[in-house]
Amino acid sequence: MNKLSILEKTMISLILSTIILVVLIPLLFFLSTAFSNATEMTVFPKSLFAKRNVTVKVVPQDDGKYEILYDYGKGEGYTSIITTSSGEKLEKHFQRQYGLMINGDKLLSIFSITRDEGPKEFTFKKDLFYNFKEFFKVVPNAKSALKNSIIVAALTILISLTLGSMAGYAIARYRFTGRKGINITLLIVRMFPTVGLSVPMAVILIKMGLFDTMIGLALLYSIPNIALTSWITSSIFVGINKNLEEASLIFGANRLQTFWHITLPLAFPAMAASSMYSFLTAWNDTISALILTNKNQTLSLVVYKAIGSSSSGIQYAAAGSIVLIIPALVFTMIIRKYIGQMWGGVKL
Amino acid sequence: MSKRIRFPKQAIPYMLLAPVFLYYVIFWLYPVISGVKEVFTGMDGSFSLTQNFKLIFHSDLFSKSVWDTASFAFFSVVLEYLIALLLAILLTIPFVGSKALMFIAMIPMSLTPTATAILWKTGLLKDGWLNTILLFIHLTKEPITFMNVEGLDAVRMLIFIDAWTVTPSVMIILIAGLQGLQNDQKEAAYLFGASKWQIFHDIILPALKPSITTSIIIRMIAAIQVWAISVMVLGYSTAPFLVERVAFYIEAIPGVETSKKLAYTYSFLTSVIVFLATVFYLRITKKEEEQSI
Repeated sequence: MNKLSILEKTMISLILSTIILVVLIPLLFFLSTAFSNATEMTVFPKSLFAKRNVTVKVVPQDDGKYEILYDYGKGEGYTSIITTSSGEKLEKHFQRQYGLMINGDKLLSIFSITRDEGPKEFTFKKDLFYNFKEFFKVVPNAKSALKNSIIVAALTILISLTLGSMAGYAIARYRFTGRKGINITLLIVRMFPTVGLSVPMAVILIKMGLFDTMIGLALLYSIPNIALTSWITSSIFVGINKNLEEASLIFGANRLQTFWHITLPLAFPAMAASSMYSFLTAWNDTISALILTNKNQTLSLVVYKAIGSSSSGIQYAAAGSIVLIIPALVFTMIIRKYIGQMWGGVKL
Repeated sequence: MSKRIRFPKQAIPYMLLAPVFLYYVIFWLYPVISGVKEVFTGMDGSFSLTQNFKLIFHSDLFSKSVWDTASFAFFSVVLEYLIALLLAILLTIPFVGSKALMFIAMIPMSLTPTATAILWKTGLLKDGWLNTILLFIHLTKEPITFMNVEGLDAVRMLIFIDAWTVTPSVMIILIAGLQGLQNDQKEAAYLFGASKWQIFHDIILPALKPSITTSIIIRMIAAIQVWAISVMVLGYSTAPFLVERVAFYIEAIPGVETSKKLAYTYSFLTSVIVFLATVFYLRITKKEEEQSI
């Protein structure tokens, strides 16, 4: 019964490859967008991988100008793009259209060879990270937004971890009246939509002078995460062998020392996992940042605003999203075990 | 020498919980109460049970946003779980590369929502990658203009995007849930002459029920709060949702007293709906706990 028939095997491989293609192809195209220059963006059909080089054909003109031609790959061959003798214009064109940062005079001297040898193709290596640099240059306060996002995530981790693990320890280790009620309250707080809190929170933060600050934002992001941290850590504190703690107490350590040297190291994985959750809340949110900030935006909000209603320059926004995606992706993969538990009580 | 203060042992848990308690009173309970107060205070500052609700009922796109949110939450979850369940059942047999599949399948949901929106926006442009694929596999002869969609089509498109984001992860959760299922049970059922449908209905589905119900409710709660993808792909007001309206009144028409009231009332409504879903979730998980004991 365990042996699979050829039919079953074929079917499984078919399903598997379909799933993988459906997930990966959009991601690959997106990655390609983030590395495409303006000229590639106008090409249709799109290619799955961005080009690594740019090739132009240069035809010298009698009046000292150069005609630049580009092959869009549509089978029409080279199309004339620009005819000029100005180094400045060339430099601008190469930067804007191909994402190449080459000095105009240098371009002129490179192309001067065509005066002797006739029309010629030139291939330049693309600056792969051009869109990324451009994103941080073109989009206002993208740099400070990146800094803000890191700060607000760190603050959220700090608040949630301190308060949450204290609560988690209490819930795990002590039997006291109202324990069940606390568990339910924590769950309700955790599920409560942050958008419902953000609007009235704006008024409170203005009163406290914390509107448009990262602390104000972190105070909001910590609300679900304190509850989540206490939930995750309490399940770990329950599992930590009490005998170890008792032994430490017998050997003369006080409660704080025992907690610091014995319990905390053992609970570290759970704390790391809940920290990553806190990070993700702060890093991924847009709606609360939209409501609670004005000038001090976070990266996610800046990326949201960068796209606007037009689609020109979308490759820069795509590059910005890649910056946004990488930490989120890495942390989610690390804590996927907890995601499984939270979602469906399964081990992944 | 200072005298060491000794706390009664019963006080320790309360002391540990006190900071959290204080935090939640200031930053959760207080905003919630002041939010509710705003909702039941009229423009002139006096108490009014219905004034803001009348305002919201008569505002543009109110019923559409409620309807869109409901249909988005319902149909996206149904679609995602049907596909995921089907795939999970087909893939429960151990196969080479299941770890790699798990990793790949988890990627879409790990992306920051704004990034997912840009990913799909680059795809849905007329000269975007989706048309490239559709032309390549001969599903269409002419590039389709996706960005002009309106009404139900817009919601349908967003459901489709959400399905791409969520279904693979749900599938992984369900596969993990199915692996906990004992194979002997299935084999015994086979021996006693159960049909495939009976095995599915009487053995697989009950085994999956706990992981399905929990995750469906969590997923629904997230789906009710959809907004960024709608605004980023289609712009405001094309596919209005509850939270999309909150963002609209804050970002697009800020500083007006009515839009402030509308934002409060919309976020209040969203919170009430999510709260009810949470209570429902609590009741179900409680029932399951009782059953398993």
